[in-house]
Amino acid sequence: MPASAFLAASAAARVASLNLCTDEYLLLLAQPGEVVSVSYLSQDPLESPLWRKARSHKGNRGSIEDVIGLKPTLVLTMGGGGRSTSLLARRLNLQTLDLAYATSLKDVEKNLRTVAAALGNVRRAEAWVAQIDALRRSSPHRASDAIWVSGSGESLAPGSIGAEWLRLAGMRQRSLPGGRVTLETLLTNPPSILVRSDYRSGQMSGGTRWLKHPIVRRAGAIQLVTDGRPWTCMGPLMVPEIERLRRMPR
Amino acid sequence: MKHWWLGLIVAAAAVLHLLVPWTPLAELNRTAPDSAWLLLTEIRLPRTLLALGYGAVLGMAGASLQALFANPLASPDITGSSSGAALGAVFASYWLGLTSPLLLAAAGASGALLALAIVVILAGRRSDPSVLLLAGLAVALASGAATSLLLALAPSPFAFYDSFDWLMGSFVDRSLPQVAVALIPAAACCILLGTRRRALDLLALGEDVAGSLGYDPRRLAIDVIVLCSIAVGACVSVCGAIGFVGLIAPYAARRLTRGHPGQAMIPAAMIGSILLLVADLAVRFGPAGRTIPVGVLTTVAGAPLFIWIVVTMRRRVTA
Amino acid sequence: MTSLLEARGLSLHGRLLPTDLDLAPGQLVALVGPNGGGKTSLLRALAGVERTSGHVRVDGEDPEASGPGRRPYLTTFLPASRDLVWPISASDVIALGLPMPDPRRVSNLIDILELGPLAERRADQLSTGERARVLLARALAPKPKLLLLDEPLSNLDPYWMLRLLEILRQTTQQGTAALVALHDIDRVPVFDRAILMDGGSLAADLPPVEMLDSAALAYAFRIERSASGWAVRRSADPQSSP
Repeated sequence: MPASAFLAASAAARVASLNLCTDEYLLLLAQPGEVVSVSYLSQDPLESPLWRKARSHKGNRGSIEDVIGLKPTLVLTMGGGGRSTSLLARRLNLQTLDLAYATSLKDVEKNLRTVAAALGNVRRAEAWVAQIDALRRSSPHRASDAIWVSGSGESLAPGSIGAEWLRLAGMRQRSLPGGRVTLETLLTNPPSILVRSDYRSGQMSGGTRWLKHPIVRRAGAIQLVTDGRPWTCMGPLMVPEIERLRRMPR
Repeated sequence: MKHWWLGLIVAAAAVLHLLVPWTPLAELNRTAPDSAWLLLTEIRLPRTLLALGYGAVLGMAGASLQALFANPLASPDITGSSSGAALGAVFASYWLGLTSPLLLAAAGASGALLALAIVVILAGRRSDPSVLLLAGLAVALASGAATSLLLALAPSPFAFYDSFDWLMGSFVDRSLPQVAVALIPAAACCILLGTRRRALDLLALGEDVAGSLGYDPRRLAIDVIVLCSIAVGACVSVCGAIGFVGLIAPYAARRLTRGHPGQAMIPAAMIGSILLLVADLAVRFGPAGRTIPVGVLTTVAGAPLFIWIVVTMRRRVTA
Repeated sequence: MTSLLEARGLSLHGRLLPTDLDLAPGQLVALVGPNGGGKTSLLRALAGVERTSGHVRVDGEDPEASGPGRRPYLTTFLPASRDLVWPISASDVIALGLPMPDPRRVSNLIDILELGPLAERRADQLSTGERARVLLARALAPKPKLLLLDEPLSNLDPYWMLRLLEILRQTTQQGTAALVALHDIDRVPVFDRAILMDGGSLAADLPPVEMLDSAALAYAFRIERSASGWAVRRSADPQSSP
């Protein structure tokens, strides 16, 4: 944890988030006055369940340029990458905090604590961490064979964070070649449970057309539809979604 | 029927297309015969039927358009109707949000019809062959660009990645209902087009002679353009635009019919089916994990022949 | 005398004023006139290619009401254009003129028009004169009752010009009526009758020798008879003659 983050935390925090996934942490942990800007993606009902909350703040297009005028004390990014956002921020004397994309539930907890600390109070994260813990402890012993699927057959890898979340709902993601499920597999070896992501299901794309194929519609003994939005970032917003999946009749 | 042996080749190609790769099918048949049957009928059969039907449509439409415009280079793609159809279908589905496959087919047909109408208005019906081709290429390029633009700006961010399917064609993961929506109107139009064989043959003697023998050239033009648009539009709305088959198949067919453009329609349909079935079979043997759109293969195979035809045409003109 | 061809009120907007015409069976009729005078328009209106008003009866039948299977036996039309786009063989081109296949008739025509060595060659690769004979054979093929020919003698060498006129005469002797547009008026004497089209209407309808001496022809073509044949007409008075 960079010392600079603690320094920033001591003053009244004004935080800008440049990425959909960091938006999630910020919006869940910060108080309204502490948020200066979130990315426009969070303000889109098709991208985030927190869109209403997000719209009460200024939107940005993911670049420092958009938030510089708002004089933030801290800028949250994910994957500085080619943008050299951190470099730029340093030259402009802006504090940045780069979060890693969570690849496991532990990473999610770590991110939660990091952001909370940057906001001045690590304890803010505890409520969420406790919820994740509770899910773990109440995880069903028996897991059904399942396949999570979104447009064009995209699925989850068995060891991935998505599979971890799914396991908490009592389903074990099947191992698939290339992380993709084919119509052939759905036809000849369907899963016990097919979990369909409804991400942008109302909009036309090759992927949604694939999901409407009769074979997909008929595959699996049980079909569950999941809100696809939290699955983009696999962050704390997955908690209510997993609870919902658990409650669905099988 | 005169070229019945072509029908045998079509059947053979179709069977091959349906059963290859054979091993997964055979293995599944051993362990779960019911599933094997479903695999054959629900996944492979739609693909085979679409390749066969779409190929026939391209062959027949290409032959009809070439006969109508007295131009050996006319074809659904070069006259812009395939691109127009893709534009119509993309606009209707991604922007207007229409989901009914029948409405999409209608949108494709409208796009094809509009494109052809613009080409005829720009170039005139019996104009210099090169003028017609230039007008057709202009419309095709404009439609292709507009389609890409619509996909890039569509509501869904995934739309742009669908460009390849629309502009280069695909038969993957289509369902039987989609087959019906594409091929039933297409079959009806092809049957009706077939009845114009004699008229299109006589058109080879000139519009005036055809008119004097009882075939109104204007009426014929409208019939052919409308029927081709509907058939091509329906297929494009399901499979995207596929090029060059509509150029090559009639060319080969006319070799068999000793140059008669109208008689070439039915052999062209069969040759078109064969070409597309073989092309779609070939793309399945590409490197593992890589998909080659079927239109890429038809273009790679067809472009050299296109150049060859242009060269021989030039030689004939300057001879 | 019953007319083979009975045409009433034929007109073509902008190019042909309402015209009546009767032809008897076996008549070989020359159609002359200056460019743009209405020769082609009359032929096209008679053939049913393009017509604004009027009707046509050939031997009592309306060609447009008969189907494509019957119509060629009533009337065929040979336009002036010799273009052929498709690589069809000469014998196949001739065969296109027949609603029902008749190989004997096709080879018969090939003999008459001396197309033997050319029969299997691509018609689009023949010379203009050779193509002209092939296309004429197509028009003759169904033995129509009425032949409408637009400039069939152009692009032909002297042998074929004379030979074609012989063939037309033989055809009319079997009862066919033929209306032949010409621009070489020196051929007119071979015909039974001459019709002059000028300004979109029928200007004169005379026996051929009278037609050549007529004031109407001199006026329409703006030429006059001279010692060596024809000369440009200088006089303004249409009545003056040598």
